Parts: sequence; structure tokens; C-alpha cells
Amino acid sequence: MSKTSDAPKEMNQFQHDYFVLLGTIDAHSESFLKGLPAQVRHPLVTFDFSKAGRINSMGIALLLRCFKDIRAKAEIRLEGLSPMHSTLFKMTGVFLLASPAKDGKEVSA
Amino acid sequence: MFQMQTVAVLYADENDRKLWDQAVAGIPGLLNITVKGSLPASLETLRPFRGTLRVAILSAATYSGHPKVAERLREICPGIEILLISRDDSSPPLKPLFADDIRHLAIDSQQQGGSREYLPVVVSMLVERRPWEVGSCLKEGTAVHSYQLVSSEEKEALICALEAALQGEGEEMEMLRQKGALLADELLENAMYDAPRGAHGNRLFRKGERRSMLPQERIVFSFGFDGETLALKLTDNWGSLDPHEVLEYLARNEECDCIADDTGGRGLFIIWRFLDRFHIDVQPGRQTAVGGHLQLCSSLDPESPRGFHISQHEKEMAA
Repeated sequence: MSKTSDAPKEMNQFQHDYFVLLGTIDAHSESFLKGLPAQVRHPLVTFDFSKAGRINSMGIALLLRCFKDIRAKAEIRLEGLSPMHSTLFKMTGVFLLASPAKDGKEVSA
Repeated sequence: MFQMQTVAVLYADENDRKLWDQAVAGIPGLLNITVKGSLPASLETLRPFRGTLRVAILSAATYSGHPKVAERLREICPGIEILLISRDDSSPPLKPLFADDIRHLAIDSQQQGGSREYLPVVVSMLVERRPWEVGSCLKEGTAVHSYQLVSSEEKEALICALEAALQGEGEEMEMLRQKGALLADELLENAMYDAPRGAHGNRLFRKGERRSMLPQERIVFSFGFDGETLALKLTDNWGSLDPHEVLEYLARNEECDCIADDTGGRGLFIIWRFLDRFHIDVQPGRQTAVGGHLQLCSSLDPESPRGFHISQHEKEMAA
């Protein structure tokens, strides 16, 4: 299951959208991830994966589709990645569309 | 048991031969050939043994130095299994292997001290046309757990059972649990949604949909962990996976600029890259077995290619 949360207050001043992904990302995340690009309002989008669990190949396909749609109008930063997420994203090309942020400061720079 | 001269190794030169001497030392019935200049002349030395040869081992240096070697080998010995051997710091890209239909790649990891047992074991498997078994890389006496699926709703419970078998503290164990869970997920999804095909090759089920196994359908998930090595295997009785297509999937997904969201075979690519060694055995229309193993303390670079063995058996397999 995946869902968004409100952007942390201190980040709103930097004019960006903030999405938190929760739980497993797989075929069941399709409708949620399909709807995200339409919610983007700012030129910078941050995805927080710190509460995300397993991401399978279908989840990767859906993330790539979502990120490609968002990239047409905004830059994407990824936060809270586990070593497993990073390995997976590197080998499947996710980092070609979205950059990992080391911490919140990098996102707001 | 091996017959005489069932396996030939082709080295690029004497230095190449020295590089592999120890790794192939335990292989019986070995015919060593060093290609000196003329490839056709060197391959002609195989002709007298064409009746017994089952496997040809090509070093990465031989393969890269002689682009036509696979084609020429098959002209002399049709049906021979070709195994490419490479060091982990010089593993070849997959596109040429796909073009040459080379379905066996063994990567000897120098970081892991190079496994002296690996090549003899894998060559024996190829010579005897034996399928890979989940217990073959585990310590003797290790329990292998097997579950036959009844419904797609069992997937998460099976993944939990696997995670529960991987008890222990520390970052390496946590990483192994996560890798194991992802591998199980991909193996199960592949068997439940990609394997079932209609008469015209069309998929019968949509990814993620809730489904029960069909009356004659048999999907079995097996795994074992001996404290150091995790081995997993998924068997279905569709036999719909095409070995050549698998190679194409791996090669296509290996391309660095591959960010297409609809790239086929991404699940198989992920399985290959997260395992230390990857095995596929297909009996067309009868059975597909996909699996492999990974080490708790694997020092393999997650970005580097892994060895694979993709076999097709027309008749029922030995084990």
C-alpha cells in the first residue's frame, strides 16, 4: 500500500511537493501512483521512501512511469532510501529520472 | 560418471591457460586447446571427439578475441553446450552472448578467493544434463522447505515464512532477508502471472489479480538456508519460458539507458542480479524451474553481472 502525507511545514517554503510512500510497492500501487503526477504543483518533488518496504519489478515499472510523467514538469528527489532500494533503483534506471538526496538539506538547496 | 573427452576448454593463449589452470583442474575428461593464431585449425582438433563432447568451455579472452568461435564450434559439434568463463573484473556484456545463444556464464569471483569447486560441479551438471537442485549448494542436512501454492493470496505468507527462516541480527542478515523477500516475490509473481499462457501464447492472468491455481496447475516454491547460503527455487508445470527470450530480457535490461517502464523481463533481470548464481531449467510445455543461491556474506558487487545457466531439456530431466 502507498499513500501521500502532507509536506513537513519547514519544507513548504521551498515550494515543492512532498510525497511519502508507505509499505510494499507492487501491482496494487497502480492507481495510487497513476494519480500522483496530477497532484504535482511545484517545480521540485520529493519522494520519501523511509516508510516504504519491498518494491518489486511491477512497482519499479509503475515508479518509472510516474517519474517520467512528473519529470515533464518538475525535478524529482528521493529521500529515505534503504541500501536495498538504492541497489534496486541503480540497477533498474530509476536514478536516471530521480536523484537521491542525502538528507533534507540537499532537497531544499 | 564422465566419459573420456566430454569437455573441451579453449584458451586464448598460454597466459590465459595459466589463469584458468586451477579452476578447471577438477574437471574429468578435459581436452585442453590453446588457440594459437588460426581458430579454424584449433577447432579442427575437436573433430575426432565430436561424438563424445558435451560441453565446450570458452574463456572470456578466447570469446572476445574470436567473435565467430561459438558459431564455428556448433558447426563441428552441433548441440554442444557452450559455457563462457570469466573473472568478475572482466565479465562480458550480454548482447553478444544473446546473439550467439550462449546460455551458460560462470563468473569466477576473485574477491571470494575463486571457488575451486564451482566449475567442476557446474560442468558435471551440464555434461549429465542434470537440472540444478535447491539443496545442491547447501550444507548437508539442511532442511529444504517446499510449498505448493493453492491461491495467489498465499504469496505474502510464503514470503513471511522465508523471512522467518532467516533469523539473525546485523546489516548483512537484514540485507539477506530483504533480498530473499524480493526474490521470492519475483519468483512467485513470475510463476503465477507470466507462466500461464493460452494456446496462442497470450497471458491468462493480469499481474496482481487475485487468482486460484487451476486444477492441473502445480506451482511449488522451495527454499533452504544453511546459515551462510540461501537457495530458492520456483517450479511451475507450464514450461512456457523460452530460454532465448530469457537471454534477451537479461541483455535488454542490462543496457544502462534502459528506463522504459514497460521493459519485459525486468523481474527475471532482478532475480539474476540479486542471486549469486542463477539457474533456469525448461522442459517446453511441461515444466519451468527458476532459482539459484546467494551468500549471506556475498562480496559480489551488486552492479556487476552474475553467472547464469539456462538449460532446455526436450525430455524429462534426470532429477
